[in-house]
Amino acid sequence: MAHFHIRDLTFSYPGAKRPTLSGVNLTIEKGEYVVLCGKSGSGKTSLLRHLKSVLTPYGSRSGQVLFDGMPLQQVSQYDQSRKIGFVMQNPDEQLVTDKVWHELAFGLENLGVDQKTIRLRVAEMASYFGLQDWFDREVATLSGGQKQLLNLASIMAMQPQVLILDEPTSQLDPIAASDFLNTVRKINIELGTTIIITEHRLEDIYHSADRVVVMEEGRVIASDGPRQVGCLLWQQDSAMFAALPTPTRVFYQSGAEGKCPLTVREGRSWLTKTFENRSLTALEPEMEPEAPKKRENALRIQETWFRYEKQGRDILRGLNLEVPRGCIFAIVGGNGAGKSTTLKTICGICKPYRGKVELFGKPIKSYGASLYRGCVAMLPQDPRSLFVGKTLREDLREMCREEGPIQAVAKTCEITHLLDAYPYDISGGEQQRAALAKVLLTNPKLLLLDEPTKGLDSFFKGKFAEILKKLKAQGITIILVSHDVEFCAEYADLVGMFFDGQIVTTDTPHRFFGQNSFYTTAANRMSRCVFQNAVTAGDVAVLYRKNLEEIR
Amino acid sequence: MTEIARLLGTVWRLVFQDYRLIAAICIFVPERGRFLFMRYDAFSKCHPLTNFLFFLGAIGFCVVIQHPMYLAAGAVGAGGYYLLLKGRDGWKRIAGLVPVFVVIAGLNPLLNTYGERLLFTVFGRPYTLEALYYGMAVAGMFVVMILWFGCYSMVLTSDKFVCLFGSLIPALSLLLVMVLRMIPSLARKGNQIADARTCIGKGVTGANSAKEKIAGGMQVLSALTDWALEGSIITADAMRCRGYGTAKRTSFRIYRMTARDWVLIGTMAVLAAGVLLAGGTGATFTPELWIAPPTWGLAAYGAFLLIPTLLYLQEAVQWHISISGI
Repeated sequence: MAHFHIRDLTFSYPGAKRPTLSGVNLTIEKGEYVVLCGKSGSGKTSLLRHLKSVLTPYGSRSGQVLFDGMPLQQVSQYDQSRKIGFVMQNPDEQLVTDKVWHELAFGLENLGVDQKTIRLRVAEMASYFGLQDWFDREVATLSGGQKQLLNLASIMAMQPQVLILDEPTSQLDPIAASDFLNTVRKINIELGTTIIITEHRLEDIYHSADRVVVMEEGRVIASDGPRQVGCLLWQQDSAMFAALPTPTRVFYQSGAEGKCPLTVREGRSWLTKTFENRSLTALEPEMEPEAPKKRENALRIQETWFRYEKQGRDILRGLNLEVPRGCIFAIVGGNGAGKSTTLKTICGICKPYRGKVELFGKPIKSYGASLYRGCVAMLPQDPRSLFVGKTLREDLREMCREEGPIQAVAKTCEITHLLDAYPYDISGGEQQRAALAKVLLTNPKLLLLDEPTKGLDSFFKGKFAEILKKLKAQGITIILVSHDVEFCAEYADLVGMFFDGQIVTTDTPHRFFGQNSFYTTAANRMSRCVFQNAVTAGDVAVLYRKNLEEIR
Repeated sequence: MTEIARLLGTVWRLVFQDYRLIAAICIFVPERGRFLFMRYDAFSKCHPLTNFLFFLGAIGFCVVIQHPMYLAAGAVGAGGYYLLLKGRDGWKRIAGLVPVFVVIAGLNPLLNTYGERLLFTVFGRPYTLEALYYGMAVAGMFVVMILWFGCYSMVLTSDKFVCLFGSLIPALSLLLVMVLRMIPSLARKGNQIADARTCIGKGVTGANSAKEKIAGGMQVLSALTDWALEGSIITADAMRCRGYGTAKRTSFRIYRMTARDWVLIGTMAVLAAGVLLAGGTGATFTPELWIAPPTWGLAAYGAFLLIPTLLYLQEAVQWHISISGI
């Protein structure tokens, strides 16, 4: 018997022009691992929320959702909370209590379970998820990744049969994200829990999915194995194709035929087999010209040291950095290495105790308050920290009274149609662009971006990159800090690696990622066995076609 | 001049001589101990009830008894335990309390002119030895109480408090837990907003006039409110997802009463009863100095106060022995 059976589900929010879900039919079997994907606003979240009564949104609806053969409304709330676990996007706001152990026990307390059973279950969960070491800690001291793992553990403590996850890793860095997703996979394999998950970083989960369901404008347009769905999306020239894992994209973009690879390992063996015993004519993609030595700098940091507390450790340890005017400079590196602190130093929030920071040839101290008027501005990691108004227009007016610049900036950031919306009602990608618009109204010459692609799907990422290109064409220098190596490889002019409080090396993306073997893009990892310095999916596809033509 | 002195005297009596007020203030002092360094301690590992009863006794006696020898015992007990908990950092706090003691003790005779033995006159008002002694007793009590509350906030953490009183008022205890969870998260978000606004030239420190500063602060507050309200919707969803309100809630307690806890509570009860029964705790300072001769109640009191310290020492010695056994 199927676990969930969705029959002709149509739903629209009150006052909406078109339905959010229209005629959705879907069956989910017991123990299945289902990946649900689609652009932002395609109805993924609405569909997931229909699988649990307390979360079902208000609006008009027809059709039916059956859980274990029973209409979902007839399943008691008590049973639903026990059997259907739901993990949401935001790690911080899902936590209810102040201690890790209490959080684990919270669900069981609600169900009225007795002391002895709770003690056992909590112990079990802490051991299974490896939480023993921070069992006694306050949740406020945990990192984002730990918080989300705790959310998962505290739901698993209730021993659900189905686990629904709505973009659980969008706020996490890549390492924490893949940790989390591996744990989810482990739950599926070892406990047989049914998993329904939406994600926009498909790289980590696509290959292990039993089934991929693709949604577009409230409809299910594909529901099949990952390989079949990949093929289908390519044939339909769907916008979702850009979200597929790199090996799959490279495969179809190069026009190859056969069984498409889903992981780097499969991609590697596909390339090796194709070019086995054949001499290659083109080994490298077209490289950018080497970065000139003497240039006018937008920013120069010399021997800078910084720490937050007198007794604390140094976060910046003799940092040296030069950023030429008019380029997009990406800083990559591990978690907590001090990348964000570097940005804070550049915009004057953190004041180094030793060293020099110069902006456009002048020391940062000489700017005073004029620093933030037309010189430097920063887009914070969480765009929500910039919204103060009831509408976006109100927010932009805070920066600038005249209508002209507001319209111009709204056009650049493509938010003209959203100006009258409440900032918390729009999607993450739109919030990001709205916050950028607000920042741009200070007319910065140097723009700092802290993790700008966090939580964005591939479509919004592309859009964001276009905006960055436009700004660069206007002569704005951009420094961005990111975990997203794919994004940096594709759009940055220069990439710097941050480690141990310093920039270790700086180079153009091809040279930078071409030399690395771990800290590099998936395209590079899969193609380095045959090509050199190919870092983007496009690079590999071009080289593949060139060489194949030569051979023929 | 005398009018002002009399007024100050009233305030003085209210603040320092009405113990209930001090106790109330101390209880509402936020738990600074939570995020600060605390050393490993045996008494902290006991059941919250044991901890709570001890502090109830220690602070209760400290407030009621003004006998100088009992106060001295209190100072030794509280100071010793405070140092055990805080290590070397504790000395700073204790050194900081010395001027507090001196000021309170020295000020009392200025406002309280009862007493027979005249030392000198200030502004035509007598400054008497009895009043000075009384000031020292009040100041000593104040300082000891600060130390006890310092220990209290490190030992009886929020989760222990909730564990103790959670079963009395379940809904309220959940509320308390949620508030405790909200505070650090709100503080962090507030800082984020302030930083973000600084970077677009809307920082509070960068503003020119006081009016702009207030307006800037209000903007941060309003942004924080919006953000927190959005967050609370998610929290509410997460709570309902995990079955909040579907059944009668139980409250899980991570602490268990052990035999050792019962022994400790029994000992504390016997010693406390000893202090009460033995008597000899009386002392009056003004207008005439009279101090009751100490009885064996003082020994019982000292033993009571040293319980945490002895527990610490016992564990340290045992550890040492077990190591030399290896």
